[in-house]
Amino acid sequence: MDEIQSKIKFVNVSKSFLNHKKEDRILTDLNFEIFAEEFVCVLGPSGSGKSTILGLIAGFIKSNSGEVLFNSKPVKRPDSSRALVFQEYALFPWLNILDNVAFGLTAKNYSKAKARETALEYLNLVGLSGYKDHSVNQISGGMKQRVAIARALAVEPEVLLMDEPFGALDQQNRENMQIELLRLFSKTRKTIVFVTHSVDEALKLADRILVIGNKPGRLLLDITVPVSRPRDFNSPALFSVRNKILDKLADPDFFIGADI
Amino acid sequence: MKIFTIRIAFFALLFLVWYMVVTICKIPPYILPSPFGVADSFYYGFLKGAYCVAIFSSLIRVLIGYFLALGLGIVIGILLARYYLLDITFGRIILALQSIPSVAWVPLALLWFGITDNAVIFIIILEAVLPIALSTKNAMKNIPPTLIRAAQTLGSRNLHLYKNVIIKAMIPELVTGLRLSWAFAWRALIAGELFISGMGIGQTLELGRSLADMAQVMAMITTIGAIGFLTENIFFGTIEKRVRIAWGLEGGK
Repeated sequence: MDEIQSKIKFVNVSKSFLNHKKEDRILTDLNFEIFAEEFVCVLGPSGSGKSTILGLIAGFIKSNSGEVLFNSKPVKRPDSSRALVFQEYALFPWLNILDNVAFGLTAKNYSKAKARETALEYLNLVGLSGYKDHSVNQISGGMKQRVAIARALAVEPEVLLMDEPFGALDQQNRENMQIELLRLFSKTRKTIVFVTHSVDEALKLADRILVIGNKPGRLLLDITVPVSRPRDFNSPALFSVRNKILDKLADPDFFIGADI
Repeated sequence: MKIFTIRIAFFALLFLVWYMVVTICKIPPYILPSPFGVADSFYYGFLKGAYCVAIFSSLIRVLIGYFLALGLGIVIGILLARYYLLDITFGRIILALQSIPSVAWVPLALLWFGITDNAVIFIIILEAVLPIALSTKNAMKNIPPTLIRAAQTLGSRNLHLYKNVIIKAMIPELVTGLRLSWAFAWRALIAGELFISGMGIGQTLELGRSLADMAQVMAMITTIGAIGFLTENIFFGTIEKRVRIAWGLEGGK
């Protein structure tokens, strides 16, 4: 714990997709580092390439140039050391809740009984062990996302990637889930990379916020939130961080920068 | 229960009207037999075993054709989904073939195979291969990419990914294909059997025509309808519905 361990490192990463034979630049010259046990929010407007950043870390998107390093080694393909939680839950509808959570464990060659036993512990962690035999379409959106988080935690990833996980939930559910996630974070001390377009969500959750600018996505601001949790939204320190972020997002340069 | 009573009453009325029309208008049995005439034909047909043998032989024939069509159709579907060039060429032919009724293949099948079982099986395969091939292709193309990505980030790959995600995600669409293929196979079977020798429902139907035995003709038409209904709607229909509910595509319970 004395030495800060680097988990994820982007070195001059650029990414573009081919869109109707035109090169569409999504990310340009991205450099940052994420450390072990850090809760990092990637914050930016829609279309700024935030999800692409997660895809690059997860390993199902390849960069055009630069390097994405995980534990100092280049990311080659997706695996369970970097589990991803999707906005649309992506639960397997043909499996019940317990078997959804056990899914990744069966891929690790656990026996069926052992996988279910472990899965039940994680369901318990998110407070849903009572729903283990329910089918996916019998539970609410908030519960689905808790199942998806339990499923991701069950494979014991080193990094938990979350792609606007609470974006599809209503306000009340969203706030409950944020509290729930912070509780899980303090309990498991996973490294978390959380993508959001909500400034307040980032301020509530993150140790550090990476603000990404639009078209092409690039790092505008890398800022630490120097306030302990639970956070008081009236604290001057938080207020100043918030203003710095809003300033950056409203920077006229940021919009003019659209044509590079 | 109320619906059941209404149905029973409806059929009772239908048979009554049928019986009255035949008796009052003195319609000769080779034009329209009374319900009892058809019932007699069923009774003696099953008692002497001729109808049982016909049904059994037809089922064997259709099952052989159906399973061969499934094997072939699934392979074609996978190839069409994987190779774009094949889809825009061969795939077009398949769509065109779908609009040809099975009976149009009979002359060709008879010239190639003679009046044998093989001719019928050939027609069945031609008809039944299309729906399952198209369903397989669509099933493969419609697998939600986020499910595959989710599985991959949970450490699933290769065989585990195929067995537990790709095939599972394809099942609802495949079951629909199985049902449609069966419906096509059943229709093709009867069309083909009218023209070949040997035992079978189609042959028994055709024999009834040549003997001017309308009761037998009607008994066979009823049999075709009954077996078709039981297999398509009751058997495959129930499986399809259950799968769709289990996969969350339809509300249930």
